[in-house]
Amino acid sequence: MCGIFGYTGFRNARNVILDCLKKLDYRGYDSAGIGVINKDELKIFKEIGELGLLEKKLPPIDVNIGIGHTRWATHGEVSIKNAHPQVSCNGDIAVVHNGIIENFKKLKEELEEKGHRFISQTDTEVIVHLIEESYKDSLKDAVFSMIKKIKGSYALAVLSTSEPDIIVGARQESPLVVGIGDNENFLTSDITALLKYTNRVIYLEDGEICVLSKNSVDIFNWNGKKIEKEIHIVDWNVEAAEKGGFPHFMLKEIYEQPHSLHQTLRGRISEIERSISFEDKVESLLDSYPKVVSIVACGTSFYAGMIGKYMIEQLSGIPTFLELASEYRYFGVRDKTSLVVAITQSGETADTLGALREAKNSGCNTMVITNVIGSTATRIADAFILTRSGPEIGVAATKTFTSQIVVLFLLALKLSRKTINPDELSRYLSHLRELPRNVRMVLERSEEILKVAEKIKDSKSVFFIGRGVNYPLSLEGALKLKEISYIHAEGFPAGELKHGPFALLTEKTPVIAIVTMDKTYDKMIANIGEVKARHSPVIAIANEKDSEIEKYADYVIRFPSDSNILSCIPIAVILQLLAYHTANLRGCEIDKPRNLAKSVTVE
Amino acid sequence: MIKKAVILAAGEGKRLKPYTETMPKVMIPVANKPIVEYVIDSVFKSGIEEIILIVGYRKETVMEYLREKENITYVTQDKQLGTAHALLYARDYIDEPFIILAGDNIIDDKSVSRLIHSESKFSLMIKEHPLPSKYGVVFLKDNKVERIVEKPLEIESKFISTGIYKFPPMIFDEIEKLTSHGIYDLTSVLQKLISQGIEVDTIVAERWMDIVYPWDILYVNGEMIHDISSSISGSIEKNVTLKGNVSIGRDSRVYAGSYIQGPVVIGEGCEIGPNVCIYPSTVIGDNVVVNSFSEIRNSVIMDEVHIGSNASISNSVIGKGSIINSHFSIISGKAKMEVEGEFKELENIGAIIGEDCDISSHVAIEPGRIIGRRCSIDSFKRVIKDIPSEMKVM
Repeated sequence: MCGIFGYTGFRNARNVILDCLKKLDYRGYDSAGIGVINKDELKIFKEIGELGLLEKKLPPIDVNIGIGHTRWATHGEVSIKNAHPQVSCNGDIAVVHNGIIENFKKLKEELEEKGHRFISQTDTEVIVHLIEESYKDSLKDAVFSMIKKIKGSYALAVLSTSEPDIIVGARQESPLVVGIGDNENFLTSDITALLKYTNRVIYLEDGEICVLSKNSVDIFNWNGKKIEKEIHIVDWNVEAAEKGGFPHFMLKEIYEQPHSLHQTLRGRISEIERSISFEDKVESLLDSYPKVVSIVACGTSFYAGMIGKYMIEQLSGIPTFLELASEYRYFGVRDKTSLVVAITQSGETADTLGALREAKNSGCNTMVITNVIGSTATRIADAFILTRSGPEIGVAATKTFTSQIVVLFLLALKLSRKTINPDELSRYLSHLRELPRNVRMVLERSEEILKVAEKIKDSKSVFFIGRGVNYPLSLEGALKLKEISYIHAEGFPAGELKHGPFALLTEKTPVIAIVTMDKTYDKMIANIGEVKARHSPVIAIANEKDSEIEKYADYVIRFPSDSNILSCIPIAVILQLLAYHTANLRGCEIDKPRNLAKSVTVE
Repeated sequence: MIKKAVILAAGEGKRLKPYTETMPKVMIPVANKPIVEYVIDSVFKSGIEEIILIVGYRKETVMEYLREKENITYVTQDKQLGTAHALLYARDYIDEPFIILAGDNIIDDKSVSRLIHSESKFSLMIKEHPLPSKYGVVFLKDNKVERIVEKPLEIESKFISTGIYKFPPMIFDEIEKLTSHGIYDLTSVLQKLISQGIEVDTIVAERWMDIVYPWDILYVNGEMIHDISSSISGSIEKNVTLKGNVSIGRDSRVYAGSYIQGPVVIGEGCEIGPNVCIYPSTVIGDNVVVNSFSEIRNSVIMDEVHIGSNASISNSVIGKGSIINSHFSIISGKAKMEVEGEFKELENIGAIIGEDCDISSHVAIEPGRIIGRRCSIDSFKRVIKDIPSEMKVM
């Protein structure tokens, strides 16, 4: 997982690349580098640590073409040598790369026999030596010859002093987008990096190569044939990718949720018509009533999927299997009668794409829930549903998680035509409409949640417990807390606590109990009692209408909801704010937690 | 040329409770746009390149709403002591002449443009007002400010200060001196400058509007939607009658048999009908549902409100997210209103309902009643008194 960027045009390339790398550094931030051509000479600048350090080191140079990279180490430690761009022996060719070359060891041996000197421990370095090896008179042809030899995933940008006016890009299973400007063109891992300069883009497909100059963009397919591609207009606004006064992207994105939830629902539900509608392709997939649903996803999307499983099974009675994408693609049972629903925020998560391809090849109907239109996942699956959350920059998923759950709930309702009557549907629709309002009320209580964060900020370990949909929420609450505050946290089904984890409870282990007023309420109260008996402090997240809970818990955070299923949305927001405030009190780098990257495009 | 503007958006606006319990005064909606957006739009339209927005009370609501606007720098004023104190927070961002505006008063772009291009170093924008006593009254001599007096008892001038100024950067030194003596408002700072012999030019604003009390929301919305033109982005079913200027936002649906007489503004993502009547001058926010056989006249319905069937609503303001069940009726008429200890008699007023209320079916409200935020009212109740926020009427 890294970010790559290329620029050729009339502006100062050094400045454009630095500016855009700043927007890509969520993809990796352990080291960064840029390569530019200055008076027919290749100049490389690299630095370890955050981008600001590279910026300080860079002299002001007047150049119009260059490539840049921000790294998340996979092969080789974090060092200047291993940072990109990687350069050929003669110093004429430079490459930046995002992905993993699987056969690099063998290629490296072969190249070394031919006399190439390797400097880094990266897999990327074989790419640049392969290009050097086959270079005759065309960089494009040399890149073609190189991609036929390598196996694995890549998005790359190549620069050569022999052809100082062009950048060559290639893509296989890692995202790469061409940005079209006037007298300038761009190459990037993520659209958000170039919104400031252009909103016209071409999405490259696997196996395609692009050649950019200041005033031309040529795309070639795997066979070397020049092809015409559609230019897409992106309607995301630049400012949507800026912090706009908020101290962190994560907080901004938490506060955007009333709006993003409206966007998720907009045009899809009608209370007066009592209906739910999706795009035609989705509708036709759902018309052929599936016998089984399989949900595949990773990370936070997996927890959204887990909530989706409860929703689909409870409402429609259709058996729903939940699989981690990284496991499913190798070990999953792929039944042709099942509907496979993949969930990926970026639409580029390598494991989820792999699982999706496997499912499709096995003849299953496939659908993806994603936030990014034009992403690889939307092109693999038979149909896609957009979460419409807008760009999410904070590494910890927030608004996309709640939107994913809402989409899954809509799917569950769609699959329940035979099991719920119109009046029930109408009630669920009005609960859906109330979600943005419920979230707003939670946001108004941010200060109260901050007070609870003070109580847990010095803990070594925090447990989250819940039943039903509140179990996956407990897992998500724990994940949020550990990923941004670095406190060890675990989520458990409340009933499982006594089967082992009890041993870990001490008076210094806060337990956060999610309590909704459903059929498990009394059991939850009993579980809280068990925890209290071990003198662990209990923080209850409870419904406003719950008048009993104060008797059992040490602190209570309230949420408004008339639904015991959709209460998971306001509760998720409480968990996000709790993790945010805790991390903030501990002085953590909230938007860029250590060792993590936003979309994981390696397997 | 002046490039920077400071907009003050930190104040709470206590007299606009219950609405300002969850948002600052600048976020009060007028024709579905918060007041501060009118100010920002006018400022950019007049040629200003960068805005320093001073935020404070409930600042997240402001920043979240403006998330798509460019060239705005946010600075937080932790305690809202006064306008001059707020301006000091912009000091680090300004080293050239600039303008300063209140984020809670609507202003037109032409007036701002005239201020920017005025020749004087110090300028104040003024406005004729029928009730000057509530404001800083400006006494003029040869179009220059002779004296400015806050809420005077005797009135000899019809002009008031709009709180919009042009200043050179040296103003910060003056303010710093005065704040150390406990003077925190710009009116006093200006009076001090005048007494030191500095000339302050005046410019008369064309359109300037202030919202002080909740019922002003009705009046100002009514004024502002007279300018709208018809535009239909949503979908309209057969047999819907639209008369006059009606604007309907994206993804909104109006169902059969509905009758809408403009000027009426309906936001995005609404569902209205079948057989709903909406009369002038009504503003309906985003994501609002109005069920069949309901009638709305001269009212402001904010975002996410849900109105059941057979409701009758007139001369009223309904806050964001309130859910109102069927057969709701607001009786409109003469009433004595009370806000923060001030009284006012109005000839024809309905109800002022706060955010996120839950009102069950068959509730009736007497004229002029103010219902706070997050109140819940049981079925068949008749509301004859004001209800403070977060109360249950059982």
